[in-house]
Amino acid sequence: MSKRRMFLRMITASLLRRRSRMLIALLSIAIGATILAGLVTVYVDVPRQMAAQFRSYGANMILMPAEGHSLTPAEAEAAEALIPADQLVGAAPYRYVYLNMVSRQQTFAAAGTDFEQVQRTSPYFKVEGAYPSSPRQVLIGKTVADTVGARLNGVMELTWFPPAEEEDPQADADTFEIRPGMTLSGQADGYGMSDEGSTKQPVYVVLTVGEDGTIASLTVDTSGETEAIGGRCGSEDFTAQFIGKPVGGDSRLMLGRDIDGISGATVTSTAVVQAVNHVVPVEEGAAPRIPRTINFTVAGILETGGEEDDYIYMSLDDMAAITGEPDTLDLVELSVSAAQENLERYTEAVTASGHATARLVKRVTKSETAVLGKLQALVFLVTLVTLVLTMVSVSTTMMAVVAERRKEIGLRKALGASDGAIRSEFLGEGLFLGALGGILGSVMGFVFAQVVSMNVFGSDIRFNFWLVPITVAVSMAVAALSCLLPVRRAVAIDPALVLKGE
Amino acid sequence: MSLLDIRHVSKIYGELRALDDVSLKVEQGEWVAIMGPSGSGKSTMMNIIGCMDKPTKGEVILDGTDIARESSKRLTDIRRDKIGLIFQQFHMVNYLTAVENVMVSQYYHSMPDEAEALEALDRVGLRERARHLPSQLSGGEQQRVCVARALINHPEIILADEPTGNLDETNENIVLDLFRQLHNEGTTLIVVTHDPEVADAAQRTIVLEHGRLVREVINEHFGE
Ligand SMILES: Nc1ncnc2c1ncn2[C@@H]1O[C@H](COP(=O)(O)OP(=O)(O)OP(=O)(O)O)[C@@H](O)[C@H]1O
Ligand SMILES: [Mg+2]
Repeated sequence: MSKRRMFLRMITASLLRRRSRMLIALLSIAIGATILAGLVTVYVDVPRQMAAQFRSYGANMILMPAEGHSLTPAEAEAAEALIPADQLVGAAPYRYVYLNMVSRQQTFAAAGTDFEQVQRTSPYFKVEGAYPSSPRQVLIGKTVADTVGARLNGVMELTWFPPAEEEDPQADADTFEIRPGMTLSGQADGYGMSDEGSTKQPVYVVLTVGEDGTIASLTVDTSGETEAIGGRCGSEDFTAQFIGKPVGGDSRLMLGRDIDGISGATVTSTAVVQAVNHVVPVEEGAAPRIPRTINFTVAGILETGGEEDDYIYMSLDDMAAITGEPDTLDLVELSVSAAQENLERYTEAVTASGHATARLVKRVTKSETAVLGKLQALVFLVTLVTLVLTMVSVSTTMMAVVAERRKEIGLRKALGASDGAIRSEFLGEGLFLGALGGILGSVMGFVFAQVVSMNVFGSDIRFNFWLVPITVAVSMAVAALSCLLPVRRAVAIDPALVLKGE
Repeated sequence: MSLLDIRHVSKIYGELRALDDVSLKVEQGEWVAIMGPSGSGKSTMMNIIGCMDKPTKGEVILDGTDIARESSKRLTDIRRDKIGLIFQQFHMVNYLTAVENVMVSQYYHSMPDEAEALEALDRVGLRERARHLPSQLSGGEQQRVCVARALINHPEIILADEPTGNLDETNENIVLDLFRQLHNEGTTLIVVTHDPEVADAAQRTIVLEHGRLVREVINEHFGE
């Protein structure tokens, strides 16, 4: 057997057969190495991730409707095509409306968008749960969730009330021609009772024209009204009175004369008659402009700390289903990875094309960089303190080990061990512990970093293989340093003590 | 020339003379017993002969070298090359097996050789216990391992301090038989003991009292 093998055999026997003591030293080193590897991973990986995020931190360009035009998906696409595809990180379309939660008498800003694109243009969005992936799912801002007490997977009933048509003096002239089979819709102000008292609430009607040019059917939507009052105006008893009555042209119905009002809901009754008197034709193929209510499932809750927290997000399809306007976008947020002068060029090109008006927005990166710098300084400090603590702990343990093994060391010396041999045996044990602790620490450190990263930054971390040899080397160096004093103690032990019957 | 020549050696601790002007010659192949009451300086003398301590005064010529003048590093070399030690408390490395304990001695001396170590254990009748840890061995067995360890490097002198002090009669006899074999092979033996029977096995007994060599007895019946 070679000397080296015997050396290893003695060291491993010492470590394996005297487990408890060595476990403490190993644990100290492993914990130290864990924190070291973990923090360095965070230190290295987070800036890398953040750099990736900065690259597309929010949008840096937005598209708005071109002068005198509306922004349709086709126009947006045409505008986006003017930017080189490899520089376009993401393009998130937005359609904003207000939606009501009738049951709670609350109004929220809502946005229809494309979630896949949102994740590209706003990678910093922190979503609890998941982004909506199927129809009738919403992502709601934290503020919204807190206001209505919404939970993940809970159901939210959202209603869209079409905004009142712009007052058009010509519209009153009722210049359209009544044809059998056409659909007409109209609206007027009614009242609703809420906790804050009675408020103005729109009343909507949709009617169809029969063969003889009179009203064939009437639907009244009073979802904004208090059920017990206005709600009754939606009932068959009330609406039946309108069937067969003339509509359009100069014909005007009057409450009391043509229609009997509902007692206690006079205002709403009046509003329904008003709405019928002011119907306009619904465009061919388009859905009538009446309120629509859809039940949504809360797929995720968004928390950015910004104004996004006040919004309800849904897919563009859901938004179209609720508004009946599939072709309208309010703006598109673009994330373009290009130098400033190129960004300016693209902006001009898009605006000049007439598809949309493009504008540049500034990304906020400077303060983040400062925060990052501070974080790194902190990591550095904590690592340093950890290394020192590990050293103290390992050194103390090794001191105890030497004290415990005084007799054995004396015996080894009596058997002819030179100072160098004693030194290398203890250093050998220390280095072995350092290596083992370093390997353990590399693995645990990665787990630690992963947990930290998930919790603090909400992002996955990469396993840095190069960190393993570094961690092991540092652990071994720390272990060796920690062993210096104990080893000196061991070398100083007098072999004669073995003959004294201690 | 004698293998060991101790000339006017004193070891003084403050006021106390642990050894007081002791002179002694031991020839190659001789078997000497050292007796004396507790505190008379027996272990002190063994430490000095065993190169683990230096005398305050006098010369200790071992194989032609005055070990009283050597550096501690040289002393380690001499101890390793020439001396085999057996202690009263059967000192073993407690996390190494019997055979590994024997191999430790080989390791510091030259090359660990497991086969040879097993042979040495065989010689002390412990071949089948070679893989046991000290805690799994009886006191007598541990002492026999120590004997095997002491003889593994073929030392010129074996120093034994109370080798049978903690052993029962059976084990004492086993150890004494081993000493006889070693003696017959020409190994020089110096054995400290309180036990007249153990002293009787030697060729010559010297007696220490208060650090002085007071008597020397030649065993007439040696070898019978
Ligand atoms: N390092 C020391 N410092 C001070 N006094 C010591 C030291 N070593 C030994 N002595 C003293 O020297 C004297 C001789 O001790 P030694 O150990 O040689 O006795 P011994 O003959 O081996 O006794 P025992 O039979 O009890 O083992 C004792 O009085 C002891 O107290
Ligand atoms: Mg003694």
